[in-house]
Amino acid sequence: MKSGIIMLILVILIYIGLYLSGSDTVFLALNYSFKSLKKLSFVFIMVFVMMFLIDMFVNDKKIAKYFDSAKGIKAYLIAMIAGVLSHGSSYVWYPILQSLREKGVKDSLIITFLYARSIKIPWIPMMIAYFGTGFTVGLIIYIMVASLIQGLIVRKFFEGE
Amino acid sequence: MKEKIKNSLKNSFVNLCRIIPMILAVVGLVGLFKAYITPQILQKFFNGNVIHDVLMGVIAGGVSVGQPFLSYIIGGELLKEGVSLYAVTAFILSFVTLGVVQLPLQIEIFGKRFTILFNVLSFIFTIIVSIVTVWTLKILGLV
Repeated sequence: MKSGIIMLILVILIYIGLYLSGSDTVFLALNYSFKSLKKLSFVFIMVFVMMFLIDMFVNDKKIAKYFDSAKGIKAYLIAMIAGVLSHGSSYVWYPILQSLREKGVKDSLIITFLYARSIKIPWIPMMIAYFGTGFTVGLIIYIMVASLIQGLIVRKFFEGE
Repeated sequence: MKEKIKNSLKNSFVNLCRIIPMILAVVGLVGLFKAYITPQILQKFFNGNVIHDVLMGVIAGGVSVGQPFLSYIIGGELLKEGVSLYAVTAFILSFVTLGVVQLPLQIEIFGKRFTILFNVLSFIFTIIVSIVTVWTLKILGLV
């Protein structure tokens, strides 16, 4: 939040600076910003709903447990699904993943999990608002496939299985 | 159950409120960007060549920092300004898969070997996924 406030103050100062320098384009910039904000207001209601649903029904500890218990090819599917469902900052997940590695979970599974984490469920409404449903669905499917392939590549060439 | 709903609503509200200053800042920057950066300036960075544009998108996303929604706002505006969907896809994907600023932390926690392997694969697959996604949409007539 602190960095956001600093950033916001900097942006306001830029606007003030441009206004004081006599640039008329600053009003055009302000107009564009208000239009963007208007567009985003509805999206944020959707984002709030997604955040609420994930907080209600997805439990990070349970995800880590399932992820740890799976074996064979099925394990990669579970790692991928766990990655998609996982939420929160990477900084929170890194120590959890490292402890799983120390308990014997393979690097290939961790890589599948980490790449699948690039699908951010709460932000899907925003992605759809900017890029459309077709793009969003296509990208999500390819990310899921890519996360599986990466895990299997590491398994085959770096873990010798 | 009632308590859980209350807590989840509170958590979601607090999380959303936390990012509002950053959203307002980025929206303000996007306004400046649209007003001051012309398509001609953008064309210097993104020239329409698929490989060049994808690489530029991957690099820009990889060195950027922030929540995923920032990349959607910036990517959406870049698209409107005429930057190719290849570059924008690469940008929003590398924004979340690659993170130059996270490398030291990754090395510290996972070790050098794992970090290199993960990031090299992420880099390669981000390029592949970006190109294949746009190709698929073109074949299906969605773009």
